[in-house]
Amino acid sequence: MTKTTVVIGVIGADVHAVGNRIIAYALEKAGFDVVNLGVMVTQKEFAEAAIETNAKAIVISSLYGHGELDCRGIGDYFNEAGLKDVLLYIGGNLVVGKADFDSVEEKFKKMGFDRVYPPGSDIEQGINDLTADLESRK
Amino acid sequence: MSVYLLFDVGSTYTKGVLVDITKEKIVATASSMTTAETDIRFGIESIKSQMGEILEQVNITKTLVCSSAKGGLTMISVGLIPDLTLKAATLACYSAGAKVIGSYSFELNQHEIEEIETSNCDILLLCGGTNGGNSTVVVNNAKRIASIRRKFPIIYAGNKSCQDQVNEILNNAGFECTFCDNVMPSYGVLEVNECRNRIREIFLDHIIKAKGLSSLSTLIEEIILPTPYSVMEALKLLAKGTLNERGLGDLMAIDIGGATTDVYSMNSTVVIADHVDFKGLQEPLEKRSVEGDLGVRFNAKHVLALKKNETEITVEFNRYISQFAADRYIVPNPVFDQLLAKWCCEIAAVRHAGRIDSVFTPLGVSYCQQGKDLRDVKIMIGIGGPILYSSHPEEILEKALYSDFKKEILLPHKTDYYLDKHYVISCLGLLASRHPDEVLRILKKNVEKLNNDQR
Repeated sequence: MTKTTVVIGVIGADVHAVGNRIIAYALEKAGFDVVNLGVMVTQKEFAEAAIETNAKAIVISSLYGHGELDCRGIGDYFNEAGLKDVLLYIGGNLVVGKADFDSVEEKFKKMGFDRVYPPGSDIEQGINDLTADLESRK
Repeated sequence: MSVYLLFDVGSTYTKGVLVDITKEKIVATASSMTTAETDIRFGIESIKSQMGEILEQVNITKTLVCSSAKGGLTMISVGLIPDLTLKAATLACYSAGAKVIGSYSFELNQHEIEEIETSNCDILLLCGGTNGGNSTVVVNNAKRIASIRRKFPIIYAGNKSCQDQVNEILNNAGFECTFCDNVMPSYGVLEVNECRNRIREIFLDHIIKAKGLSSLSTLIEEIILPTPYSVMEALKLLAKGTLNERGLGDLMAIDIGGATTDVYSMNSTVVIADHVDFKGLQEPLEKRSVEGDLGVRFNAKHVLALKKNETEITVEFNRYISQFAADRYIVPNPVFDQLLAKWCCEIAAVRHAGRIDSVFTPLGVSYCQQGKDLRDVKIMIGIGGPILYSSHPEEILEKALYSDFKKEILLPHKTDYYLDKHYVISCLGLLASRHPDEVLRILKKNVEKLNNDQR
């Protein structure tokens, strides 16, 4: 059986590398083929890597509070790039300040994300969701 | 005793080198002006008669030739994403000594198929997808290519998972299709070596015959390499050395010609500075880039257009350039040629080297590197007429150095300059795999370092 490819990375000018490594490690352990683009990844890099590797999901992290700006238009752009069927996840400190998470989630879902995770989320939860979402799309 | 007679045919000058491997010395060198129209035999015969008596005194073990005749080796590269598999494919073509006359990304359309059909490409390199990655695009491209009536050899170096499918499509359409390892097996990783060897094999099996060069076989025993491939082999040996003989270490070489400018960089390791994030495709340690729009004769106009704001461009300079269009063999003007060569060198070096960009983040400044970091390279070799005939070759080569005006370009800070004065590099590359130790020592002796007083 071939492994499912997942592209991960930290979007924008964000250089927080620790969480990125943890996500890569956990996904690999869960049996995924991980293409880790590291930190400071642009929307274009995510799209290109996903096309070339035929990824089934893109998992984006953002910790520095500017995620909203970095992700603006991402859903439309990925659709344009032919990635409509690729799952799009995001998690981290997505906005500056203490915004109510429900409104944050709504905002990012509108942008085209399938799942949005608040700070301190359990990676296991994310992997379970990913496995279930992939299964339901088969 | 083993004495080899080596030729480099197909460029403005046909060059010949008679080398004694046992004594490790160059016995004779000669060159003869040839044109694209003259028969290659003419150049070879002329060199033989120049060497005259010397030739009669020696017993030649073998005559070998590297050739860039009839356009050299022309290729088309097809990939998926321009910055990923297409770039990998194009780099593979360059490293095999080819001239890339067309590069296509994503799914091919009818117009592009027609372009490929009417082009004079010798080989098409089809890539796309990492292993286990995208296969739809590359399979569709194979189907499109299958509709082309003109048949040429195709190398498939894309996603291994759909190799059999691609093979079937192309074979059924009557194409000869060979396979090799994916040029980008996983994201960002470049693997060009097998592809490079495969290109060379096809060059030997098909292209020489197709270009009518096999008629040369009465004069020589073997035509073995496209000229830039041979240059790569010689430079690789010179940089890396062998088990018994040390090489010179990391180096760069600039070969300026009438129509193109080639830049080579040979590195032993991938250099990424501290606190720098690397982006994109990891380029090969032995990299060749070809600038098809930079040259001091046939592309002089182009170079001038790129440098149109320079104050040196006078009415007289412009007139000189337009004269080439009418007559390629006018009396050269050394001042203008020097300027053209400097500009070719500068632009080609900037395009070859990697770059480092600063990104301003809420956490301070961060740095991203793309391509090769050549800042620590200490050796710069000049190849080709415009550099060798210049009275100040160092002024041309220093244009390929790091400068404060383009801080983001990762070019060498300070290098020693060497010149291929006797045109031995391209010819000796032919022997690099047969007699590495001897050839390395001969190269070290004959690729001359520019003295300090000359600088």
